[in-house]
Amino acid sequence: MKTLFQTALKFVSPSLLLLVTVAVSASAQDARLQLTNLDYLAGKASQTVNVDIDEKVLHVTANFLGNGSDEKEVKALINGLKGIYVRSFEFEREGEYTPADVEAIRAQLKNSAWTRIVGVVSRKEGNIEVYLMLTNNQISGLAVLAVEPKELTVVNIIGPVDLAKLATLEDQFGIPDLGIEGPAKSKPRE
Amino acid sequence: MKTRLTIVTLLATLVLSVPGASSAIVARDDFGEAVKLIEQFYHVKHQSLPLLAKATMKAATTAARIKGGEYRKLAEAGSVKVVFFENQEFNSRGDMTRFRASLVNAVGNTWSPLIQTLSATEESQTYIFLRQASEKFNVLVVTIERHEAVVVQVNLKPATLAMLLKDPNEMGKAITDDATTNDN
Repeated sequence: MKTLFQTALKFVSPSLLLLVTVAVSASAQDARLQLTNLDYLAGKASQTVNVDIDEKVLHVTANFLGNGSDEKEVKALINGLKGIYVRSFEFEREGEYTPADVEAIRAQLKNSAWTRIVGVVSRKEGNIEVYLMLTNNQISGLAVLAVEPKELTVVNIIGPVDLAKLATLEDQFGIPDLGIEGPAKSKPRE
Repeated sequence: MKTRLTIVTLLATLVLSVPGASSAIVARDDFGEAVKLIEQFYHVKHQSLPLLAKATMKAATTAARIKGGEYRKLAEAGSVKVVFFENQEFNSRGDMTRFRASLVNAVGNTWSPLIQTLSATEESQTYIFLRQASEKFNVLVVTIERHEAVVVQVNLKPATLAMLLKDPNEMGKAITDDATTNDN
């Protein structure tokens, strides 16, 4: 009987481990937006920037950044992040991207896990939308959608990002200067 | 014993007979694949760097400009591979996204895309791919302008990578400048 139990355990444990691993990584991946629908815009844009910084690279960066005060602040911000993904397009003319391109991103953010943060504005022209994903009352992801007639930018940060300090990351790690200003400690609203 | 030997033989046969499996065992030359792709897509030929040009570049004191100042040496000694395309026409004829897809497809199995900066109107493209190699990072940079292109592969220490990542938009230029102004 003992042998049977041990044999069963031998097969069940790896399966259970696999299941838990898949579940954990699935929840971590949930905050990652699918942005491939925007790929074609690179053929039209006067400037395209794609940035894909995954957890491993962020981890290295956090470990090897210097010890200056600015670097310490950045280090604290990126610690624990699982990815930074940016898609940014600038066009010479208006109307190069379609409302459907933007709606495809918004549709993903209509998922109940995402909450739009109201009151966040940009010093720049155009419309900026900031969304947070909360998992067990912890921020597990952030999405910024900046829509201007000749510019379209999507920033997707995976992990526990501090919204109040998001501006610190602007112009670093490929995150463009979005001129984000807003309620530093605003509570998410449904 | 005989059964074990048979299983091993069967596995070996299977591995060698599956298309792609044997090539996966042999180390891939992704640098060469990137160069070949540029040649095929744009109908251009790469050039070996003339000795005189190399001597001139070595004498140049230009340093890679990165956030926080200048940096004299980014790449690990002996790790630099460079291929130039000069005075040739790089016209994607509006099909830049197809080139990007082909490049990602050509090297994407072993390299992760990190940064891509493209301008369809100016026909300029920079692609940076990353691959972890033990405690270091291999970085592959492909830069294409209207009349020239450079493919660079270097090894970076994690600390150097961390420093460059603060301004990834300038990373490709910094690595290419470093690789072409130092005789590694």
